[in-house]
Amino acid sequence: MLFTRRLMLGLAMAGSMASALAFPAIAGEGPTEIDLFFPVPVDGKLARDMGTLIKEFNETHPNVKATAVYTGSYDDTLIKTRAAIKAGKPPAAVIMSANFLLDMQIENELTNLDSLIKADGTTKEQFLGQFFPALQGNAVIDRSVYGVPFHNSTPLLYINADKAKEAGLDPNKPPQTWAELTDWAKKLTKREGDKVTQWGIAIPCAYDYCGWMMETLTMSNGGRYYNEEFGGEVYYDTPSMLGALTWWNDLIAKHKVHPPGATPGPAVSTSFISGNAAMIMLSTGSLTYVRDNAKFAYKVAFIPRNVRNAVPIGGASLIIPAGLEAEKQKAAWTLIKWMTSPEKSGWWSRATGYFAPNMAAYKTPDMVEFLNKNPDAKTAVEQLDVAKPWFATYKTVPVRKNLEDEVMLVLNGKKQPKEALVAAQKAADETLKPYNAETSLKLP
Amino acid sequence: MSLAEPAALPVATSAAPRLHVLKRFSAGFKASLPAYLLLLPSLIFLALFTYGAMGRVLIDALYQRTTPKAPVRFVGLDNISAVLADPAFTGAVINNLIYAVGTAIPSIGLALLFALALSRTNAVTSALRAALFLPVLIPMVAASALFLFIFLPNVGLLDYYIGRLLPVLPNWLGDPDIALSAIMVITIWKNAGYYMLFFLAGLQAVPEDVMEAAHLDGAGPFQRLRYIILPELKPTFLFVTVIATLNAVTQVDHVFVMTKGGPSNSTNLVLFYIYQQAVEHYDIGKASAATLLTLAALMSLTALSFRTLANREGGP
Repeated sequence: MLFTRRLMLGLAMAGSMASALAFPAIAGEGPTEIDLFFPVPVDGKLARDMGTLIKEFNETHPNVKATAVYTGSYDDTLIKTRAAIKAGKPPAAVIMSANFLLDMQIENELTNLDSLIKADGTTKEQFLGQFFPALQGNAVIDRSVYGVPFHNSTPLLYINADKAKEAGLDPNKPPQTWAELTDWAKKLTKREGDKVTQWGIAIPCAYDYCGWMMETLTMSNGGRYYNEEFGGEVYYDTPSMLGALTWWNDLIAKHKVHPPGATPGPAVSTSFISGNAAMIMLSTGSLTYVRDNAKFAYKVAFIPRNVRNAVPIGGASLIIPAGLEAEKQKAAWTLIKWMTSPEKSGWWSRATGYFAPNMAAYKTPDMVEFLNKNPDAKTAVEQLDVAKPWFATYKTVPVRKNLEDEVMLVLNGKKQPKEALVAAQKAADETLKPYNAETSLKLP
Repeated sequence: MSLAEPAALPVATSAAPRLHVLKRFSAGFKASLPAYLLLLPSLIFLALFTYGAMGRVLIDALYQRTTPKAPVRFVGLDNISAVLADPAFTGAVINNLIYAVGTAIPSIGLALLFALALSRTNAVTSALRAALFLPVLIPMVAASALFLFIFLPNVGLLDYYIGRLLPVLPNWLGDPDIALSAIMVITIWKNAGYYMLFFLAGLQAVPEDVMEAAHLDGAGPFQRLRYIILPELKPTFLFVTVIATLNAVTQVDHVFVMTKGGPSNSTNLVLFYIYQQAVEHYDIGKASAATLLTLAALMSLTALSFRTLANREGGP
């Protein structure tokens, strides 16, 4: 009797202690709290839209409490994520610039999503099959899935239709080649004496945007920027890139139809909105901003070709950093699947201007109605047929910067394209050297 | 950041009484024990967050990690020589020197001018003082975001007004020849009001009777400025110069917000270079080496100026 009473007492005590200790871990009581890091790389009110999206997620998922944390530009988001991983407190999910995935995978900072996909009872092929094929290059590394496309972009040519008509051009037949674009830009540039009062075209060049625009021009000039299969090679000193940079430089130095110097993206979009630039090349991510603010008729068109029609993918994928507890990983996966579902990615696309990576999004009634009202949102999706992966190498940011620094010198009239590209190639080879020494150059 | 703190150390040691006899030492120690106890909390924090961090940087500077696959290895002084051979670093040092001189002299000059003009207290000068001090209260990041719009090429506030006068509009932040000057303008605008405070305090310390005597002897305003006020303000000058120099190295928020060191590294400053090496290039070894070099330069500079300051005050 005594024995059993003692035993009961002991069990009760042990039980209460165990439950006190284990309660937070069981988490049957409270929701799993997770952070989502998100950047705002383009114009517009994305932060508010993100708040709306996460609020809806939390209301429909009582087991998870997600918090959206604003982390600045794409580059800043990479830095903050890395800092959080180093500090041992990685966020559960991050909207990460799609071209950083390779670099992060090389640094062992990403969770391989294959097992999570498998646990859902789907195959990799089925899972990836939801998304436009052009996006898979930046989401799949060595045949494993590391990212889920969330909002993606292509560069577009924005045209001020009113100004085009004024200049005797037909905005419904936008320029299709570089030669036509140069011609349009000349006709759309207005001068008072030496002073330009209206620029024909403006292309942004600030860190991050500049590399993307160089990739755009190089691709439509028949070339490629980097080795899509291996992270240790870039092709800066090549005829296709030289032709691209020479054309860009000619717009400034020879034709004087493009403002000189390196101009950041927001300055370019502001120039377009204010009527100071008649045509601009910019991400489709800025489309909603232009739609909301332009007080004139505008058109969006494919990026004109020199050799071929081709554009790089831009935008971001959702990733799960390495080093998370299983429970948070699972919650993050729930969030990611919800955010990339046809309905939600469609909603986000309409709010921002990015296109929805999930192909089924374009079949939802809301999206069909929206596209009927805003046919300009179709252009980026149509351009996907010719889209290529976004450049991604070991140490993507410095390698990209090796080129951007030199391009900025050219746009400012301080260097000739050829000499700049030779210098860029040399600098990039130097940055890539340790990786190549460890991989491609290491002899067995 | 905390780069300025270690500078306090040389002062503390040089100002400590030099005692030769052990007995006298222990007696002196007993007497000053409460003082040491009061200093203890600060010392603990300094040790943890400043000297500890410095020690870590010292160690990190000796190691190199290239790729995640390669092991971290001891490289001795290789990181230091790599930093010194990096044109981006030497460029950042030169930029920083230009930036330091180009912001310190105008902002100190303006501060002195403001202080002299507003030294008498009345309703008007108080309002003006507050107005000139306002930029100090605006966080650097907010001020930079503000100037980003002012400097916007073609459509910004500056071009909107200057555009009527100039034949060609400069791309203020996009032209490597102009961008650093544009950034310097913000620093001067922001710091002049801050340094004004020190000069106002310094002016208070100018003895009234000396000024009165000079006035009676028929010294004009310029002579009073040249022979009484400026010499009296010398310690203030020295102090403000040290602060301005340190600010030139430790303030980089505006570079981060406005140009990220660009275009083509033309606005890259030493601290931003260190940041880039550490977080963009993921190269802790090189970042630590650059930190060590900067720290050494700053500490010797500060020690030198405090010594000069101490000599002036203690001297005949």
